[in-house]
Amino acid sequence: MTRSVAAELLVIRKRASTWILLIIWTLLALLFSYIVPYIQYLNGSSRTPLTDLLPQHLVGTLMGGFPFFGGVFALQLGVLTVGSEYGWGTLKTLLTQRPGRLRVFAAKLLALAAALVPFVLVVYGVGVLSSYAIAMREGADVVWPSAWLVLRGLGAGWLILAVWAAFGILLAVLSRGTSLAVGIGILYSLVIEGLLSALASEVSLLDRFVEFFLRANGYSLVAALGVSAEDVSDRGPGSFSGPFVGGTQAMLVLASYLTVLLVASGWLLRRRDVV
Amino acid sequence: MSSDEFAIETRDLGKRYSDRIVAVDQLVMRVRRGEVYGFLGPNGAGKTTTLRMLLGLVRPTSGTALVLGAAPGSPQGLARIGALIETPTFYPFLSGLDNLRVLARHAGVPETRIGPALAEVELAARAGDRFQTYSLGMKQRLGIAAALIKDPELLILDEPTNGMDPAGMAEMRAFIRNLGHGTRTVLLSSHLMTEVEQICDRVGVISRGSLVGEGTVDELRGQESLWVRAEPLEEAEQVVRGLRGIEQVARIDGGLRIAADSSAAAAINRALVEAGIAVAELRPERASLEKVFLELTEEAA
Repeated sequence: MTRSVAAELLVIRKRASTWILLIIWTLLALLFSYIVPYIQYLNGSSRTPLTDLLPQHLVGTLMGGFPFFGGVFALQLGVLTVGSEYGWGTLKTLLTQRPGRLRVFAAKLLALAAALVPFVLVVYGVGVLSSYAIAMREGADVVWPSAWLVLRGLGAGWLILAVWAAFGILLAVLSRGTSLAVGIGILYSLVIEGLLSALASEVSLLDRFVEFFLRANGYSLVAALGVSAEDVSDRGPGSFSGPFVGGTQAMLVLASYLTVLLVASGWLLRRRDVV
Repeated sequence: MSSDEFAIETRDLGKRYSDRIVAVDQLVMRVRRGEVYGFLGPNGAGKTTTLRMLLGLVRPTSGTALVLGAAPGSPQGLARIGALIETPTFYPFLSGLDNLRVLARHAGVPETRIGPALAEVELAARAGDRFQTYSLGMKQRLGIAAALIKDPELLILDEPTNGMDPAGMAEMRAFIRNLGHGTRTVLLSSHLMTEVEQICDRVGVISRGSLVGEGTVDELRGQESLWVRAEPLEEAEQVVRGLRGIEQVARIDGGLRIAADSSAAAAINRALVEAGIAVAELRPERASLEKVFLELTEEAA
């Protein structure tokens, strides 16, 4: 199994799209978490207080981008990791090697799980540097958040990305490719979850329904780590104004999603013909 | 089923996609260990579906199969099988070498086998280049190298010369012939008669999903016969029929087809000339594999 994971890590590492997604996601996180708010602060047009851009508020500032923007990038990574195998025909090449289907699939999942770690760590690294630079420039005290809060933030960020990646994997297996899977995934995240979440504040019937959305649970999880509701309600296509659920419930729902999505994908991959 | 004698053994193997679409129908096929078996059939006859079932990529809807004594697609079987199904498919952004590394890791074989496999298919010089820059012939050779890194007991090759130029095809055939020598079994799917005729010990002909003929090339082509064009034909036929050891004589295309091998030609010629019959042509004749193939597949259709 270790060698199968090493094989999959080699594929992910040498694939340009992995690095392109990581770079764009990091730049977007830097832009919307620090650069734009700081420029607005300097211009006096910002609703974001300076304290949100300082090291002490690192986790809360960064985590707001994970449930939607980070999720969309992870979705694409998940789709590409599995869907491209259908497009290139490499799935049949892999499946005629020694391991069984589920072992190949498990190796892919473990490699993808490892590949998501830099997607969290690099953004946090950039956040550390940015918040420190702003604190230095503003002459503010540098107070770092507790290690426990940072660890929880890293874990929550990884979980949110993992769920979206798993969603991408299921779509890729269902559609046996990448294009339709990416299209449906983005359509779902933007239109279905976005529109219904926006309507939930006006149609009470939707409230309970929306509570089970990836977006609602993702934002609820980061809210438990210090992200303010006002902050995430003003994030363009990724905005979310509730309903929020408790942090523990959000974590459990996301973990359940992760399990169900992966089991469904593995079951389908095992059952269906590879042509 | 006994797995000692046969590398591949199928019993009533079938794949039905719907009521109307039957890709493979009750296929009974036995490939002996150590032989090069040609799997011949027109496009759409069910060759690739059969091979996919033998590799566990496609699930049969009926029947059973044993490949090297194991169920198709099982890790025990796949560990000893090298396969190239249709066009070789690899990661386009990886080099040939890295592609083989990925496969070696999945297959659980030492990466030290990659170098010799690349050298065997004469691809070592381009191993560091990306797969997407390879010509079709190089891609096919990389596919063969991928099949070889497991040092397989059984090679399953689906139309390995597809799209290659004549020189590449000749090279690939010679290569497959060499691979088949010794204890290794090769199952070669093709629709090219010359390819099968030159390489294979035995041939199975598939048409519309069913095996319609099986045997060595010689067995399939049948007995040698003699063809005679002579005047007058009726008298010639009477003379030939009167000869000892001649049992079957048929009048075809203005001549006589005589069921006899070429050793009888001199006696027949002498008898005809002595009877005052003008012999315009006398030659040995044998059905080509192509003719047999067309007859078998047309009968099935």
